[in-house]
This record gives sequence, structure tokens and C-alpha cells, in this order.
Amino acid sequence: MQKSSKLTVVVAALSAAVMSLSACGGSSDTASTDTSTSGNTDQVMSVYGCEPANPLIPTNTNEVCGGNPIDLLFAKLVAYDDKGKTENEVAKEIKASDENKKFTITLNDGWKFTDGTAVTAESFTKAWSYGANVSNAQLSSSFFQNIVGFSDLQKKGVDKNAQLSGLKVVDDKTFTVDLTSPSSVFPTSLGYSAFAPLPDSFFKDPKAFGEKPVGNGPYKFESWTHNDSIKLVKNDDYKGVAPAHNGGITFKMYTDTEPAYADVQAGNLDALETVPASASQTFTTDSSVQAYNKAGSVFQSFSFPATLKHFELGTKEGTLRRQAVSMAINRKQLVDKVLGGIGTPAVDFISPVIPGYSDSLKGNGVLKYNKDEAKKLWAEADEISKWTDSDKLTFAYNTDGGAKPVYDAIVNQVKNTLGINVATNPIPTFSEFRNSITARTMKSAFRTGWQADYPSAENYLSPLYSSAAADGKGSNDGDYKNSEFDALLTKAATASDEDTANESYHAAEELLLRDLPSVPLYYSNAAGVAAKGVKGFKMNWKNLPVYQELTK
Amino acid sequence: MGKYLLRRILQMIPVVIGTTLLIYALVFALPGDPVAAMFGDKPVNAAVAAQIRSEYNLDKPFIIQYLIFLKNALTLDFGNTFAGQPVIAVIGRAFPVTIKLAIMAFVFEAVFGVVFGIISGLKKGKWYDSVILIVSLLLISVPTFVTGFVLQYFLGVKWGLLPVTAGSNPGFIDLLMPASVLGSVSMAYIIRLTRTEVSSNISEDYVRTARAKGMSNKSVTLRHVLRNSMIPVVTYLGADIGALMGGAMITERIFNINGIGNTLYQGIIRGEGTLVVSIVTILVLVFVVCNLVVDMFYAVLDPRIRYV
Repeated sequence: MQKSSKLTVVVAALSAAVMSLSACGGSSDTASTDTSTSGNTDQVMSVYGCEPANPLIPTNTNEVCGGNPIDLLFAKLVAYDDKGKTENEVAKEIKASDENKKFTITLNDGWKFTDGTAVTAESFTKAWSYGANVSNAQLSSSFFQNIVGFSDLQKKGVDKNAQLSGLKVVDDKTFTVDLTSPSSVFPTSLGYSAFAPLPDSFFKDPKAFGEKPVGNGPYKFESWTHNDSIKLVKNDDYKGVAPAHNGGITFKMYTDTEPAYADVQAGNLDALETVPASASQTFTTDSSVQAYNKAGSVFQSFSFPATLKHFELGTKEGTLRRQAVSMAINRKQLVDKVLGGIGTPAVDFISPVIPGYSDSLKGNGVLKYNKDEAKKLWAEADEISKWTDSDKLTFAYNTDGGAKPVYDAIVNQVKNTLGINVATNPIPTFSEFRNSITARTMKSAFRTGWQADYPSAENYLSPLYSSAAADGKGSNDGDYKNSEFDALLTKAATASDEDTANESYHAAEELLLRDLPSVPLYYSNAAGVAAKGVKGFKMNWKNLPVYQELTK
Repeated sequence: MGKYLLRRILQMIPVVIGTTLLIYALVFALPGDPVAAMFGDKPVNAAVAAQIRSEYNLDKPFIIQYLIFLKNALTLDFGNTFAGQPVIAVIGRAFPVTIKLAIMAFVFEAVFGVVFGIISGLKKGKWYDSVILIVSLLLISVPTFVTGFVLQYFLGVKWGLLPVTAGSNPGFIDLLMPASVLGSVSMAYIIRLTRTEVSSNISEDYVRTARAKGMSNKSVTLRHVLRNSMIPVVTYLGADIGALMGGAMITERIFNINGIGNTLYQGIIRGEGTLVVSIVTILVLVFVVCNLVVDMFYAVLDPRIRYV
């Protein structure tokens, strides 16, 4: 009896401690769940989010945590539909002249920022100049590098308010853009968030704006509680092409996708645009969620350093060996067995959801598993220069991005097919990994992935393989330099319509299939989950939910 | 006593300077360039990168960076994160959450650990002693992230008894599951520690003497056995406060609690030297203070211990 009484005292003490704790805890437990009638257009939807790495300024945001809210807050000159097709939004007309070197942009009437001020030509020109100006140290500055006057704004100590000389305001609703080199894709690229307009209030106090942005998009900014949530509500004044069908979007912040998945299962979170590794094999059959799994726009590949021994770019031996390794990889098996089906084997250098994709390029057989051909090509290369037992091919990847199982599988496939010494070269962090690639000290084949900023074949090809982006000047990490390829890109850039441009892009891709500066592996699927009862859950060309259409 | 306290407090100064210098050097030595990483896969605009470096003093040599940090830290200005947030505000948001979690876990492990340990130690060999032993062994051998995921799935997702995740401003109910997970391993250790101490003290001479003098069973157990058994337990608990604060990283990630562990993790991933060093400095202070308090407690438990 004594014992039990002692226990009661302990329990009482514990619950006293508990009371005081819950008192200071506040009332947060009411915020997490929303239950209501289905399809309610006033319903605020909660979606997966994460703490932005930067203030919410369009030209200074280049990662998804800040990028997703920003995309909903700002309407750009053009917009992309779910399929990646470009249509005018704030722009009434974008007229090209001088072989795609000069653009005249006219704006639609009636666009307003949520603070009531009008969206004018200056809202764009001043925002772009701010983004390009080095004194403002904006992370997305390189998006403006093709505009005349960009290099003048890169000098140390340049006036913070200096403007791009290539932008000229004609009147309130019209401005012109002069480009340094022709670009047929320029109008398409204008839908990227860095090209968003900014209201006058931004220039008065960019810092305050970054905490409390004012836009012209389908949603209006309500609040940002750091490490907790970003709340957006429907913007009733929005007249663009993708209006909100719900009352608002709340980005609930997570540092990991596993708890977010558990929250979707429990119905506390409405949508999550990725699937954590632990659920990748089960999410399509998980009865507690709605799954979405279709080919997406992220292109996954690996590249060889241009001077890697035996794999030298542009040599007969190097090309043969690159082709042999590519054919030694069974992409279908990789996608099905290792990725649990959340990928689609690659057949080109773009993506099936992007205009310009083709599954019938000449020479795409090099991306198909062919054991005998791989061995034959490897043997041919051996006749040029022998691959000895002491030679070893390694594949580098960053271990903080979940790439380990993929590269373990690739190593085994290449080893089993070619019978050579292959290993992985895991590098702990993405930053360290990118560092040795940028410094060109990498002595392994290395993981490369690309998420397009705007839906265009151009955005997959010129940043990654053009000579202008090689040697550390861009993202051409394999230093591929081919004047024939560059000429085809230029031809596409001056083309008058998209179909003609895509013909040149296809010809350019066929060169890549021959030279293999990088080896395409698969397209990461747009895979995600939504809670039971959520309606309108589908994903767009950017592998993100179409937030405007979520309801419940 | 006062002199002893003063000496201990003065000792904290070199400890703090030493640890911050060490941590700063480690973060500085981390491979990879945080500024280049900010650009992600995108081309790095060298002019912009240089601008950012000078803004955060990253272009200066290591020792200068450290001295700038130290100088500013003395005025409680820990600088800004790369997102433009004052470090002090970031910590100010995360710390209360972690403290709440740590206190709950601490109470959980101390109460249940000591109570079950005493029951076990006094009634050695009974069936409930065996059950307690087996459960504690299980908790020690299973890593917390397994306990965490399993509890989260069953209690949260499947049966809907407790909230699945906690969020940034969690209340008592939100933290109930994370705190039990966080405290579970230590609780198991405390059970075993208490059990061993109680069962060995109970057969000591002084207990037999007390009994022979005619003291009741209750006061023998409470005043002699328990008091003497608590010294190692208190030592363990004291050291554990620090571990609970700094070591909650895994639990905080599983239950999406935006406390110190999660903030520290993000700081390391983003290479934010000042944020990491500031958090670690505070954790060092917590450890040092806890140790001091534990040492003070010895005197309360065992009057033979004196400080000079």
C-alpha cells in the first residue's frame, strides 16, 4: 500500500509540471488540422514547405523553399500551364525584332500589386536592374546576363541604383529589351520568378520587403513565421491565367520529408511534392494517401571530367568508353528496382514533359542496355589504349541527396557488364561535391542533375553543354566544346518559331548522343502524395503541385 | 563554498573560449564553400559571390573572422544568418522549444527511471523486476530513431492518439511523444543504475545497524538507502540535461520540432559558421552550469562532501 501511495505523489508532481509546461506552450494544437466540406473554395490548404534560405525577394531566391511561395506571389510577363506551354500573362504582347535581339513588351491594363499600386513597365525594368546589379548581390543575377549593360553593372562599387542600359521604358505600359546575343527563348524565360515585377515599396526598403513581400500573383502574402509557416491568402484582384480555387495556401515548414509524409498519412498536411526514401516503394499502394507518380522534368545524368584518363572528351578512345559505360547500364532495372518506379528511363537530354522532347533521336540506342555492344566497344577502345587491372573507374556523388542506392547499382551494373574495376566515390556534402567539380579537381565520373527554370529545350542544352558555359563560366561541368553544337544552338536562338527551333535542338542533341559529354540516366518522376479527401491534386511541369487547384 | 563557486565560474571562461575557437576552426575547415553552395547548380556569379563574402567577412583569414565573432559576441551581437535573420533571434525562437522538450524528457526519465529502479532494486527477483529489466534492456538496445518512427506510426498515424508532428510552437500534448522517445534511453539507464545502487546499499552494514536500532522499514529505505543511492543517479541526470538539449537532433527531425537540434543541423548543412558556433557556445555553457549544479548537489546528498 505504501508503494502505491508514493506513486500517486509522483504522478501528481508530474502532472503539476505538465500543467505549467502546457501553459507556456500556448494553443498550437488547434492549427494543424482542418476538417470541412469537400471542394470548399474558401478552404486554406496546407502544403509541405521549408524555411527559405534567403529573404523572399524574387531575384535572390534560387531554391524551392523560398521559390514556391514566390512563384505564387508574383505574376510574371508570361505563365506556363501544367504542360509547360507558355502563354502571356501580364504581357499583352512580346514582339521580337532584329533576329531575336530586340524585344518590345507591352503590358495588359489593370494589373495591380496587392498594395494597390499599378504594375507598370518600370516595375519590371527597375526590378531586373536591381537583380543584375552586383552591389545588391542577388543570387539570380546571371538570368540577366544576356541583357545589354549587364557587364557594366558587375564592376565593384557600382551605384546600387544603376540601371541596365538595355532596358528602355517607352511609356507606362511599354518597354524594350536589347539583348547581347539573339535568343528565341527569351520570351519563354520571362516566366521564371527572377523576372517578376516589383512595386515601388520594394526599392525603398528591400530588407523589410524580403520579410513581407508584396506581389501581383494569385495569392497575397499574409505572414511568415520563421521555421513554422508561410501563409498566403487568395488575391481577389488577380485576373491572370491561373486563379486560386481555394482560400489560401499555408506552407508548413519541415526540415525533413519523413515527418511530412506521416502528417499526410494522418491527414494533417494536404499535399507533399516529394516522397521520402522510406516510402518510395510503398506510397503508390498506401491506402492512407493519394499518390501521384508521372514522368517529370528533372533530368538525371552523370558526367565525365573532360580530361579523365581513358575517357578524354573528343578522343576516339574516350568516346568509345563513354558509350560502352552508357550501354552497360540497365536504366529500366535501375528505375524499377532501385527507385521503386519513381523515375523514367532517359532517351534524350531533355524531359518528356518539356516541349522539344523526342524519343526518336538518331543514335539514342546508346542509352539502351546492350551488354554485347558495350563489351565490343570497350574492347575496341582497349586496342587504342589498354585498360589495365590497376585502372579504376569511380563514380562520385553527394551523400546528402539520397543518391547512394542509384550509384551503388550503377557501379554493380558496369562492373558486371564490362568486368572492370569500378567503385563509388561518395562525397559527404553537396557543397563539397560542387566545389571539387567547379575547381575541376574531380577525378571521377560525377552525378549531374538539372531542374529547368523554364520549360524549354534551350534551358536543358545551352547552360549544360554550350562552349560559352564551359571552363567554369557556367554549368557545363564536363567542359564540352563543340562549335557545330554551338552553331545549332545559335540557329535555334534566331529561329522564328518554336518548331523550327526544336529541329535545331534535336540535331544538337544527336551530337550529344554521339559525344556523350554526360550520360543521361533517367527523368525523376513528379511523385508526391496528398491527404485523403483532397481534390485537384496534380503536378505541373516543374514537379510541383498545382497549388491553385487544391481543394477539399 | 563561495570561493569554490567563484573559482568554478572563472574556470568557465577558458572553457568557453577554447571550445568556441575549436568549433569555429572546425566549421572553417569544413570542406566546401558555403557561398558557392548558395548558387546551387546554377553558375556562380563571381562578382556577386565576392560581394556576399565581404558582407559576411568570409574573405578574411580565419583568426580575424574568429576575433570579429568574439568581439561582437561580447556585445551579444552574433551577426546574421545567410537568410538575413539575426542569429540571436533564430536561437531565441528555437531555444524555448528545446528547453520545453528537454524538461519534459528530463522529468519523464527522472521520475520513471528512479521509481522503476527503486521498485526493481527493492524487490529483486520478483516477476515485475524481470519485466522492468527486459523493457529497459530493449530501450537501451533499440536506437531512438527506431523507437521514434514506430511510436509515431502507431500512436500518431494509425491510432490517432497523439499529434504526429509538433511544429514550431508545440504544447504539452504535442511534445508528449517526442519527450518520451528522447528520454527513453536515459530512463532505461537510470532504472538500471538505481536498481544496482539500491540493491547493493540495502545489504550494507549501516542499513543493518539502522534496522537493529529499531528504525522502521520506511525510514531506513527513504533516509538511508535512497539517499545514498542517489549520488550516481544525480551525476548521470546532471550530465544528461546537456545531452538532452544538444542531442535532440534526431528526435527533433523525426517529429519536426523546430528546436536547437534542427537549427544546428540546418546551420551545419548551410555552412553557417556563426550560427553553429553560437549554438554550440550556449550548449557548452549549459553543460558547464549543469556540472556545477551537480557538484553542489553532492553536498546535499552526502554531508561528508565539502568544498574548499
